[in-house]
Amino acid sequence: MEGKAEGKVIVITSGKGGVGKTTATASIGAALALDGNRVAVVDMDIGLRNLDVVMGLENRIVFNVVDAVKGRCKLKQAAIRDRRIKNLYLIPASQSDNKDVLSPDEMVQFGEKMRKEFDYILMDSPAGIEQGFENSVASADEALVVCMPEVSSVRDADRVIGLLYARSITPKLVVNRIIPEMVERGDMLSHEDMVEVLSIELIGLVQVDDHVIISTNTGVPLVLQKGSKAGDAFRRIAMRINGRKDIPIEVPQTEGRFWKKIGSKFGLGK
Amino acid sequence: MFDNFFRKVLGKPDSKDVAKKRLKFALIYDKLEVSDDVLTCLHRDMVEVISRYFEIDKDAFKMDIHHSEDLSALVVNTPIIKAKRKKYPAV
Ligand SMILES: Nc1ncnc2c1ncn2[C@@H]1O[C@H](COP(=O)(O)OP(=O)(O)OP(=O)(O)O)[C@@H](O)[C@H]1O
Ligand SMILES: [Mg+2]
Repeated sequence: MEGKAEGKVIVITSGKGGVGKTTATASIGAALALDGNRVAVVDMDIGLRNLDVVMGLENRIVFNVVDAVKGRCKLKQAAIRDRRIKNLYLIPASQSDNKDVLSPDEMVQFGEKMRKEFDYILMDSPAGIEQGFENSVASADEALVVCMPEVSSVRDADRVIGLLYARSITPKLVVNRIIPEMVERGDMLSHEDMVEVLSIELIGLVQVDDHVIISTNTGVPLVLQKGSKAGDAFRRIAMRINGRKDIPIEVPQTEGRFWKKIGSKFGLGK
Repeated sequence: MFDNFFRKVLGKPDSKDVAKKRLKFALIYDKLEVSDDVLTCLHRDMVEVISRYFEIDKDAFKMDIHHSEDLSALVVNTPIIKAKRKKYPAV
């Protein structure tokens, strides 16, 4: 590994639970690896692991992140290699420990070791702002805040953004579970509204997509599912993380709107 | 809808059935993991039980779980100083 640039640790967090952190971590991690990076995704939700099942790697767990951080095994032993996507590795959470078995100091050291082995290290943070969150952000260079277009999610995101700023991290926003029909009807916050309220840079917009649940059912990565709009959105986010600032952020739209647009080109409709 | 029809014809399982099968395995697997707390208690109890029969070096008593791809083993290692010569109640 000598002479190679050190990798980046990116934490994926939200404050509120169930908004799509684990889905985002798995998908962005897979997409970064497909783009040729060495990637490790780390499940920091100790005691409630899920990144393993979302990635379909649950029956290959031998060691976990607590073993790796405590030096009870080598990094290599804890990193499960994804056989479908080259250069993608999962470090699973332990299921039987408490979040306080690890300390931020230990995580900083762990991050230093990980940067030498991988180009991107994605930390899947647990919900909340307690110890598990502290441990997840301890070694982070950058942060993605996942937020749903919904009042309590935005409020919690704001709290987390503040905590990240306090650590001199400027996070970027992923809006997940957008329902275009509702946005168009004016019944759901638009991404413009969210960016305005949170004053934060946007990195991607992901809509509600059945493929997310199907992909979790089967353990096949979302970004390998053809025709998945959410999968495509996560791939574009990965490209932007990877320095492709030219990739535009696409706004999810209803099919109807698409036809309306085409229609209006031909002088039909309103 | 057509998607579903073709999937059935081709004999591909529904994704929810794949999910159910995976979950059954995962739930069993999760319960095989031993926490540090459990290990600490087991360590204490083992030292106590073995000490009833042998004089052992308590500080040198070692206990660990070894994992490999297909099995986990509890490995206990303790130097014995001497056997105790007292009578044990019959079981
Ligand atoms: N774009 C999407 N479309 C449809 N369903 C989604 C989408 N994103 C996430 N979900 C679903 O929402 C649920 C929560 O997602 P996920 O587990 O990724 O959230 P989380 O933030 O990691 O939750 P936790 O806080 O519990 O760790 C899951 O059932 C997931 O399949
Ligand atoms: Mg999660």
